[in-house]
Amino acid sequence: MSATNTASAAASGGAIAGRQHRSPARLIWLILLGLGLAAGLGAWGYQLSQGLASTNMRNPTMWGLYITLFMYFVGLSAGGLIVASAGRLFGGVRLKPIVRLAVLEATVAVVMAALMLLPDLGRPDRVWHLFRYPHFTSPLIWDITIVTIYLIISLVYVWVYTRADNARRGSRLAFGTGSSSADDARDERMKWVLAAVGLPAAILLHSITAWIFGLQIARGFWYTALMAPLFITSALVSGTGLMILLALVVRRVGRISFHDDLIAYLAKLLAVFVAVEAFLVLCEMLTAAYAGAAFEADPISRLLTGHFSPLFWFEIVIGLLVPFVLLIVPRWRLRMAWVTVASVLAVIGIFAHRLNIVLNGLTYATVPYPPGVSIGTAQPLGTDSFAQHLFYYPSWVEWLVALGILCLGALMFTAGAILLPLREKTHEESPAAQA
Amino acid sequence: MPDKVSPIEALPPASRAYGEIGPVSAEPRWGMVVDQERCIGCWSCCVICKSENDVPLGMWWNRINTVGDALDTPYMVQGELAMHWLPLACQHCENPACTKVCPVQATYSREDGVVMQDSQRCIGCRYCLVACPYGVRVFNWGRAERPTDFNTGMVAPRPIGTMEKCSFCVHRLTDGQIPSCVWSCPGQARIFGDLNDPDSRVSRLIRDRGGYQLLQERGTDPRVYYLPPRRKRGLEP
Repeated sequence: MSATNTASAAASGGAIAGRQHRSPARLIWLILLGLGLAAGLGAWGYQLSQGLASTNMRNPTMWGLYITLFMYFVGLSAGGLIVASAGRLFGGVRLKPIVRLAVLEATVAVVMAALMLLPDLGRPDRVWHLFRYPHFTSPLIWDITIVTIYLIISLVYVWVYTRADNARRGSRLAFGTGSSSADDARDERMKWVLAAVGLPAAILLHSITAWIFGLQIARGFWYTALMAPLFITSALVSGTGLMILLALVVRRVGRISFHDDLIAYLAKLLAVFVAVEAFLVLCEMLTAAYAGAAFEADPISRLLTGHFSPLFWFEIVIGLLVPFVLLIVPRWRLRMAWVTVASVLAVIGIFAHRLNIVLNGLTYATVPYPPGVSIGTAQPLGTDSFAQHLFYYPSWVEWLVALGILCLGALMFTAGAILLPLREKTHEESPAAQA
Repeated sequence: MPDKVSPIEALPPASRAYGEIGPVSAEPRWGMVVDQERCIGCWSCCVICKSENDVPLGMWWNRINTVGDALDTPYMVQGELAMHWLPLACQHCENPACTKVCPVQATYSREDGVVMQDSQRCIGCRYCLVACPYGVRVFNWGRAERPTDFNTGMVAPRPIGTMEKCSFCVHRLTDGQIPSCVWSCPGQARIFGDLNDPDSRVSRLIRDRGGYQLLQERGTDPRVYYLPPRRKRGLEP
């Protein structure tokens, strides 16, 4: 408690921020991210030369880590923007010191999500077909449309929130706008409009991503109207968790300042989101399991006791239960260390949740008879080229490509944090005022 | 997809007549009947499909599933052993899950009901593979490997990174010939014809033998019907 308070007090002084600008730590951080990005690009190049056979995806498990990360990044993005917009629409000024951070995070995450789709395509050279021959009954086209709209909203969001400070600094990012009171008044109006547009866009973004899965009658585990609410809730859990972590990190390096109470407020929100998530998971499982119809109940038994049970119980216990306990006790909620642990667990837990949704929906053939589905690649002599279920674990190519996009996202975020004025001027001098 | 011409016309008249579709209605709606009583699980249809359509190693447009728990093994029915197969290829659904989800309309239904795949337009997102309840679509994950170093098929090979599937041998249909799997079945377990014609053999068989559709509860309305086995084959006269 005392350590974090002194850190925030020192950070708000601004002197540390100035020194950090030339720190070797930042250089090392950037070099590491650059190396990760290079590794990802190299792996993608290898994948392009070999085809998707270099991944561990096959006909029985045709989607894997890439699609999981796509929906995960969409969730992080939507979560960040929902928190930011809802804060303005309903929550007053409490979240103001981190709104710029939230919209920056939302923008970076949605770019990462869009990029994640490219390596998943068998023919990335034909990605322009999506715009040349769009087929509007496909949820994938809806999703690409909303991702585009959402990206534009996020970029405008970032610009409007940093415009006044950019103009004051004489930065070119202000695009020639001034810093008069008329400009500031226009900003205020724009912020309301953006919050009003951004909140439904963020909710829609995640609903549509859910419908990619939830509308598929072939997959009993996915075919539920609960998919969209569940996706929005898990977006809120992972998005809020990541916001807490990023806010603490960025405060530590001195780019923003706020009082610990803000984190405690976010932590309380996170506890509520975690509880709703657990409730929805329970509703879903009970409905599917109760009737005992095979195409719905089998996936549930795989989660509870079968192949996916380690991942599932990790999600429930480590990803939901532990964070909830840590965050629901007011005394613990005020300790930044516990909040950090809870947020890390929630962010990882939601990733496990996403993996479970994708893989458990796919791994087993829908026509249960042997020999199952043809795998799709030539097998060595004496090996079966069919499978009724194929347990999927990402190949090194998939891990490296994912690492590359993660590093690219971190690079974009770092660049944004360095180049953009993230600090809200009005709150800089008196952090206690928001308490 | 087909840019090769089927050499059916070069066949001697007798074999040509054997594979002919026969009279059809003005607007045919192609369908297939698979008689589970006649199927002996020999995989002939799967093999000729690979050859006819030049399907690479590790990929099958057509496969034979064994009813029960193990491949080519009997299962128990009311305390007695029984053995049946479920030949499985694209069901050419009336309400296909795959064509709806394709973001670029690379898969679509023809007027006559054949569900087609345009591998020149496909972007390789594999959403159709996710959507299909029958697991009959196959993706070109890597470079195609074939047992011969020349193409055997009657249709053009599909490029890497795209989806492919059974087309009811559409290149043969245009020649007035039945699909290869139907033509080659030694038990004559597959019957092909016009579902729009109530007097066609497929329509009559579906009516008389209680033809059923696979995974009917998913609402895809396949044009491939299965005839359930009527009785167990025994040694008694």
